[in-house]
Amino acid sequence: MKTAAYPLSAGGLTLTRPVGPVLDELGLAVPRGKISVVIGPNACGKSTLLRCLARLLRPDQGEVLLEGDPIDRQKPKQVARQLAILPQNSTVPEYLRVFDLVARGRTPWQSPLSQWSRADALAVERALALAGVEAYSLRPLSELSGGQRQRAFIAMILAQDAPILLLDEPTTFLDLPHQIELLDLVRKLNRESGKTVVMVLHDINLAARFADHVFALKDGKVNREGAPADVVTEATMRQIFALDCLVIPDPLHGCPHVIPR
Amino acid sequence: MTRPAAVTWRCGAFSGRVAPRTAVFTLLTLAVLVAVSGLALYSGHYPLTVAEMSAILFQRADETADIVIWYHRLPRLLVGIGAGAAFGVSGALIQDMLRNPLASPDVVGFSAGAATGALFTVMLTGSSFWVLPGAMAGGVLSAALVLLLAWNKGLSSARLVLIGLALSLFLMALVDIMMARLDLLTAADIMKWLVGAFPSPEWSDVALIFGALITLGPFALWQGFALKRMALGDDIATALGLNVSRVRLKILFLSVGLTACAVSVAGPLPFVAFAANPIARRLSAASGACNGSPLLGAAAVGACLTVMADLVCRSLPIGADLPTGIFTAMIGAPLLVWQLTLEIRKGAL
Repeated sequence: MKTAAYPLSAGGLTLTRPVGPVLDELGLAVPRGKISVVIGPNACGKSTLLRCLARLLRPDQGEVLLEGDPIDRQKPKQVARQLAILPQNSTVPEYLRVFDLVARGRTPWQSPLSQWSRADALAVERALALAGVEAYSLRPLSELSGGQRQRAFIAMILAQDAPILLLDEPTTFLDLPHQIELLDLVRKLNRESGKTVVMVLHDINLAARFADHVFALKDGKVNREGAPADVVTEATMRQIFALDCLVIPDPLHGCPHVIPR
Repeated sequence: MTRPAAVTWRCGAFSGRVAPRTAVFTLLTLAVLVAVSGLALYSGHYPLTVAEMSAILFQRADETADIVIWYHRLPRLLVGIGAGAAFGVSGALIQDMLRNPLASPDVVGFSAGAATGALFTVMLTGSSFWVLPGAMAGGVLSAALVLLLAWNKGLSSARLVLIGLALSLFLMALVDIMMARLDLLTAADIMKWLVGAFPSPEWSDVALIFGALITLGPFALWQGFALKRMALGDDIATALGLNVSRVRLKILFLSVGLTACAVSVAGPLPFVAFAANPIARRLSAASGACNGSPLLGAAAVGACLTVMADLVCRSLPIGADLPTGIFTAMIGAPLLVWQLTLEIRKGAL
């Protein structure tokens, strides 16, 4: 496979809903092997953008390129081998056991005639271990706490073995320790397995701490992008969130830390 | 232990995983089916001993008993098995696809469409030769109509069920209009068929329904793979590499085809399609476990339900010449009420 400059990019993405434009000629290029975080005020199109990138939503105009080729002209199965997404709201049946959920992640590598190859079994074991969910792999989802549940879903997209991971607000419904735990896991996946990660985060301080690259969205466009230190500034916060704040270096990690006034 | 109990099989590039409980359940249901079938052949107004029966089945003596078995009980039994299995699979396909236990072909109007189509062609041509094409056309038309009306940048399950329900009511009115133009005797016969009955099927009916099962069944099993992933929701199914809309269309087509064939031989037997899959699921604990398809279980349960209902219907004391559909309804309707209460309790309705 040829290697494009960017594993995932988009140009001219436009999506209009009755209330108005959600995405407005948005263009972006995701850096390879980095953790990119999309931030922005409510209803600025963060999740919509992520869903378009993962072809869960078809934009009215514009296109998404996966490894340089239009994503909707590639075979769905091939796309799923390269790009995994954890959508925000899933309607997964509660009776499903963690193991079975994670095993579903192997779908793009399976067919009706080959539903459980050796590679499948190995990948699922590895994903269970990596996400740290082995201990409750036989429990149904309904018996899990929010944090365990989210980890189970992470395990599922890990079993998919795709080099690009998209996470739509993976920390929602988690308390702070679990948020950190989950983001540590994401960072580990990025550093150790070289996954390209794009995630939407609400918390700017967490974004600043875990991101290599930040996309700040406003009004359906990428308003600013770059390293956290360049994007998370008092000026940008005022411009994007209309937030009057003080930005200081985080005493522990050195990344910018936002303190609203 | 991190792995659920399952039997893994691998053979070259082929592989799969079967949950023991699902396999045991399917085999048990088949055993029950064999037992009920034996009973269905054995019991009836014309008394036969077991020895006589096996003699007829395997040697073909030329007597009344031979006619009773070969021209009456056996085709009736086989039509029951075939139609029941077809309804069971077609129900499981749609219910699982839409993740909605209420969305079976008898509820979303496909059965009613097939029946209306069949009736319409019978009235137009005056012969029963065109029943199957009529049922197919009726099923496809009603499915297309329901889909057209329910389609809104995708297929939402609530819309589909409600529109299907409305269409069923409309079709019932159409049938009533058609029936009003018939003479009393034909109307009584057709009325019975409309409830779901196959009192004296031909061998051609048997060939039709099993032909349908043999041609469409393997495709349905093939779609079982996608069907299981559809249970995870459209987003995740798409993310895992399925073309959700295309899978839906294929499954709908299979389901309508099976329903139309079953309706054309046995009438729109109520609740078989609706009840088979939930029963199979509950008993086999096939709730997403492993990769064994619950479709086989649903087929077996559907066949069992239909043959049992038909057996009860035949064994009633003299004079009660009731259609089989009444008995499937008596099994199925309480299940529907129960399912509805479950859904209401869950807050889904």
